[in-house]
Order: sequence, then structure tokens, then C-alpha cells
Amino acid sequence: MQPLSGIKVLELGNFVSAPYCGKLFAGYGAEVIKVEPLDGDISRTHGPFKNNKPDPETSALFMYLNTNKRSVTLDLQTVAGRDSLSELVKTSDVLIENYRPNDAKILGIDYETLKAINPKLVLISITAYGQNGPYADFYSNNLIAFAMSGQMFITGTEEGGPLKNGGYQADYQGGLNAFSAGMLALLATERDEIGQHVDISVQHCMGPILEAGVPFYAYMGLWSPERRGNLMSSIMGVYPCIDGQIGIHVMARNWPPFARAIGHEEWVLDERYSTAEARMANNDELMAEIIQWSTNTTKKEAHRAGGENRAPITYIHDMADLMESPQLKERGFLREIEHPIAGKATYPGPPWWMGPDTWTDNPAPLLGENTKEILSRLTQ
Amino acid sequence: MTAPLAGIRVLDLTMVWAGPMGTRLLGDYGAEVIKIEGPKQWDLLRGLGRMPRTEERWYNKSAYFNHNNRNKYSTILDLQTKRGRELLLELVSISDVLVENYRADVMQKLELGYEEIKAINPKIIYLSMPGHGKTGPESGYVTYGTNVEQLAGLVSISGYENGEPTKTGFSYGDPMSGTATPAAIALGLRQLRLTGTGVFIDMAQRENLTCLVGEYLVDYSMNKTLRNPIGNRNSQFAPHNCYPSAGKNRWVTIACENDEQFSNLCRAMEQPDLAKDPRFKTAEARKENEDLLDDFIRTWSLTHGHYETMYILQREGVLAGAVLTIPEIMSDPQMRSRNVWTEHSHPDAGTWEMETPPWLMSRTPGSVRLPAPGYAEHNEYVFSDLLGLTALEIETLYKEGITTLSPDVKSHI
Repeated sequence: MQPLSGIKVLELGNFVSAPYCGKLFAGYGAEVIKVEPLDGDISRTHGPFKNNKPDPETSALFMYLNTNKRSVTLDLQTVAGRDSLSELVKTSDVLIENYRPNDAKILGIDYETLKAINPKLVLISITAYGQNGPYADFYSNNLIAFAMSGQMFITGTEEGGPLKNGGYQADYQGGLNAFSAGMLALLATERDEIGQHVDISVQHCMGPILEAGVPFYAYMGLWSPERRGNLMSSIMGVYPCIDGQIGIHVMARNWPPFARAIGHEEWVLDERYSTAEARMANNDELMAEIIQWSTNTTKKEAHRAGGENRAPITYIHDMADLMESPQLKERGFLREIEHPIAGKATYPGPPWWMGPDTWTDNPAPLLGENTKEILSRLTQ
Repeated sequence: MTAPLAGIRVLDLTMVWAGPMGTRLLGDYGAEVIKIEGPKQWDLLRGLGRMPRTEERWYNKSAYFNHNNRNKYSTILDLQTKRGRELLLELVSISDVLVENYRADVMQKLELGYEEIKAINPKIIYLSMPGHGKTGPESGYVTYGTNVEQLAGLVSISGYENGEPTKTGFSYGDPMSGTATPAAIALGLRQLRLTGTGVFIDMAQRENLTCLVGEYLVDYSMNKTLRNPIGNRNSQFAPHNCYPSAGKNRWVTIACENDEQFSNLCRAMEQPDLAKDPRFKTAEARKENEDLLDDFIRTWSLTHGHYETMYILQREGVLAGAVLTIPEIMSDPQMRSRNVWTEHSHPDAGTWEMETPPWLMSRTPGSVRLPAPGYAEHNEYVFSDLLGLTALEIETLYKEGITTLSPDVKSHI
């Protein structure tokens, strides 16, 4: 049995954050109806597309984020559209949306309106800044969210300036936070028979998680404006190797295994490096020696040596490496899904494994694929 | 107003960041979390507080530890001893959830794997969160936060345009596993409600993070093309970048997703003609002449403060945000108005501000009820109140080194 059997979710989600939240609900067994505007979720117009040819049905972004859902198109500017939505709300447990608060109000999906229709509903709202406050209706996207959360300032190099990381990580962080919060709210509703509004501010979720950045500043006034690129220090960072890059993250207790793994067992006792303090004092010297090793090894050799010696060494996996990963293959993480128009592709499996038959792998819906079926069910 | 996880007891066998952040979130939303450390195997973060070891009880004054362990109790048990393990199993019999983030083979070696725990309490939700997962040829490999994003495929697509793959400025994998923890536990609790039996959850941190770049895997499997990093730009829109502001190391981000926003930007820059310039008139033209366009914007952005630019452009309906530093996220008016930071007090560490629970739930809000526990602070509660041991039995635990009141400071140097 799937953990979310019997749960009904409506998703009025655009692009990444709310769709990712909806994807997780759907993957673990909820029935998720995606309500799309007549021209579809905007991620349908975003590439990359199958064969790089734009088509609203073959966007990798849309197909990935909307697995296991059904699609209904509704024009919420019309009375008929709103009436249908209202009928759907009556029988739903959860509604996920990511409109600016003001736009949500205009569309009639603000909490006051929805609560009046279904007091047991959990409304999950994902926005850049939350439902209130001076920036509540500011315009934002993934890039802006990176900037306003502090994650961007500390990423990249001094020369290159602040850098966001790849893909749509701020949007995904919003979606993942929303799923955790939404699940807690759902448990509370099943216990108390009353719904509530879950207000996710991406800025609030992203800002406090800068490693020790906030704790050290808040408690001791310490912070550094430095951006250290790929090498935080000699023993934490990304090094070049023969056929790519290697990543190491050596904590004090990993020093002997690390020294062994890279063929420098003598460093365990070498007083230049044998303690954390010494490694910091001789950082540049050590870095030069590690580069000497890394540039003479291949990524897979380094990964294997790390594994065999229990040293935290791995390599920068690209998508081809993921497809070939013996670890991911053996765990069954790579799922093949056949989409009626785009054909077969490989998708990530569940973010966490909860046993056989707890996660499903159905392709994303075509635009409005289930409109007739679901709307006719409403009128019965 | 009863918290969503009220009445749920969590045994927390996690250390460092991912696990402790996850169990802290469970505590924030009402669970009773009992953190179990050993006399020697105490949480490394207690030692990473930049606190001189000459300070009294320095291990209770690590802000890094204290932010990630509030709303928890602390008890000390040496799980490598027979008696220590026995007491853990007694706790298992009165708990709902167990979370651990050791390397994949550690719990099995302690004979505390899922099978052993399930035999004591078949209703337990048991969450393991090792880097590579509990199974597979690489499950015994050691992995920390920065390795997770390297394994997940994220680093390969991150970096400046035409530059080398670049790491995130912090150990990004950890907080993503922490963030996922309440969802995984809540799913487990619901499954328990449906089936009457507990669940084993295997969260491989690299897999959890790969899910956040899933479209790249789908794309590669269809098109067999690897995508290079594109910095702060977007594959479709321009402008979409980070620009220098007035002042040293001050920056602002600006993005236009359609022609209207672009023409508003030009007006705000007092160069309305740019919007009609054939080099920038359409989205395609802007993308083609992006370098030149960025030069125009840079010349303007340098004459304004980063927050100032944000306000000017937001008034015009243009996407813009200042690149905030750590001090700035703590003073930011929006963060302040949403009470993201709250003052709290800790008996050893004093009074300072930390983040409030991240999600605002209108009916069942989270709360900061307890400061992070001092090492061994709740030994008495656990041994006497929960397990019902006699004073003599507790004394024996101390005498035999199964528990202690202060950590072996020789660990984690």
C-alpha cells in the first residue's frame, strides 16, 4: 500500500516549486489533479525538449515535474471555470499553489475563500517571501530568490562575483519544504478534522541554512565576505583530475584514511599535516601536494580508493555518470518511463525509499488530458 | 493548536548537520526528541563552535550545534556496551520514531539495524540517511555534505558560463536531507495509520539531491547531450544576471521574462529607447546580444545601491533582488517583519537570536520551546522518568562508563 493512498490533491502550480511538491504527493500515492490554465503550465514552454524541438508535451522540465498527475484545464477568469474549481475543492484534502499573494486573491484561491468551501482543506502556498510583509508581492524567480536568501553571496569566486548553482535549486527548495510542511499539516487534519493554511516563504527556508554562517554571525558576530570557489580549504573542495574533477571533504577523523587513500600514508605522522591545526597552518603547501596527486589520477580511481579506504573522496558525476552508476543501478533508483509523445526516458526514482510498491512511475499528463473525465464526474 | 507531531517520541541517533537539522524540525513541530550521544562519540558540531577549549563547558557553547539541536533532550549512552544497547532497546519500546545518519554499516554492527529494532517495536518508523543508501556496492563509502552534491549531478551543471563545474558555497546536500526528514517521517506515520505496522525508510542523501536536478537526467537520457554551466543566466530569457552595485562587493540580480518587463527596465534606467533598439527588441534578440545588454545594465547598476536598485525596479514590475550578505539577511526588513529571527536563551551559552521554525502553519504553528540541550542534560529524565531506573542502577551506569556527565574531550581533536 502507498503511504498517501486515499489522499486527493489539487495543484495550481506553475513552473517548479509547487509542481515538485505535487510530484512528491503523487509519487507516494495521492491522487493529484493538476489544474492548468488553457495554455498550460509555463514549464511546458521551457526546454530542454526532446530532440531540442520545442513542443509543450516534450519539455524535460515539465515531464519530470509532473509524473503521476492528471491534467485538467480550467479558465479561472470565467464563472464556469471557477465553479468547477470550487467543486473540485469540496472533495480535496490538499491544494498546492505558488501564485503571488495578490494574484492568488484575484484568482479566488486565497485561504479565506477556500476555507469557506472546504474547512478541512490544507492550503499550501509557496511564495518567494511569504503571504505578508513589505516584499510579499515583489516579483521573483529562482535567480532573485538565490540573491535574497544569502545562498548566492557565498557561492562562486571573488573575481567572478556571486553565483547561483545549477538548475532551479531555489524553486526546488521551496517545493521540498512545502512537501514536508504540507505532510505535517495533513497529519494534523486527519487527527483534528480541521484544515489550515501553510505559508512557505522561500526566503525564510533558504536564509538560515548557510552551514555555520548564521549561527556564527548571530552568536559571535563572525562572518567572512569571502567567496572561495571550488577550494574552501586544502581538505574541503573540488580538485582537477585527469578526466574531470574530484571532490574531497576531510574531517579530522578522516585524515589517516585520506592520507592512505591518496598514497601518502606517511602524512599521518608528518607534523606539517598530522593535526587539524597543522593542516590549516600549512594549507597552501598541502593544497599543492593534493593537486600533485589529483592531476595524476582518474576520477573513478580516486572514487574507488576513497571507498576502499573509507576516505571521503568522490568525483563530480555528470548525467552520463549517473546513468552508468553501479550504485544507482543496483538500488533501482533509475526508472524508465514511457511518455506517449516523447517516448522512453530515464527519471530519478523516489527521493527516499519506503519499501516496494510505495512509489509509482507514470508519465506526466498531456495538456488537459483528463479534463473531460474529471469534469463529467463533477456533474454526476 | 496542538502541534502536528505532539505525542510523538523520536530517538535521535544523528550527528553533524543533515540528521540533526531534520530531527530539530521534528522538534520544532511538536515531537519529543531525545538525542543520544556517547561518552566518546559525541556530536562533532559541539567541537566546531570556534569556542576556545579553555572555556568552561565549551561543548555546550557551539552556536553551530545549538542552532541545529534546539527542541531536543540530551542523554548519553555508550551503545557499544551490552547495557547501553539494552537501554536503547528499552527506549525503542516506548518511542515512535528512530532517526540515524551513521555510515551505512554502523547500526548493523551495533546490532541496532531495522530488524533488531522492529523485533522490539514493530510500529517504529526507522529512518536511515546515509550518503549512498543502505544497499549497493558503494553503500560503505564515507560521504559528507559537499560530496553529496558532487554525486547528485548538481556540481556538473553549476558554475560560471563556459567555466568549470563549481561547488555550492556551503554543504548543500545536508540541509536538503534535513528538510526532507519531516516529510519522510510523516509519510511513515501515515503508512502506520493505514497498515498498523512500522516502516523502514532508506534516504540515500545523493538520491534525494538528484531529485532536485531530475530534468537534467530526463534530458540527457533523451538527447544524449551534457549541458554546460550557464552561470546566472537563463537558457531562454535576457537579461537574467547578477550585476555590480555601488559600493565594495555589493551586487544585485535582475531578470526580465518578457518584453513588457524589459521596456519597464529601460524606462527605470532612463534609457527608454533601448527597448525599441532592434538589438534588444525581442526576447531572441536580447538573448543573442546578451553580453552587450549586460554592459548597458552594468553601467547603470554601478550608480545605485543594491537595495535601491531592487526598490526602483520592483516599483516598475521588474524582477530584482539584492544579493544579501549574512548580516543583511539578519537585518532584512522582510525577514524581520516575518519574525524569521527570535531571541532565545541557553543556560550555558547565553542569549542570542536564531531562526524560527521555517514553515508558518496557521492552526498548528511550530515553536522554539527548548534551547539546545547541554551535553547529558537530560540523563536523569531519561533514566529515571522514562526508564524507571533506581538511583543505584543509575549510579552503576556512571560508574561503568555507560553514561557520563561530560564528554571525553580527547575525541574529535
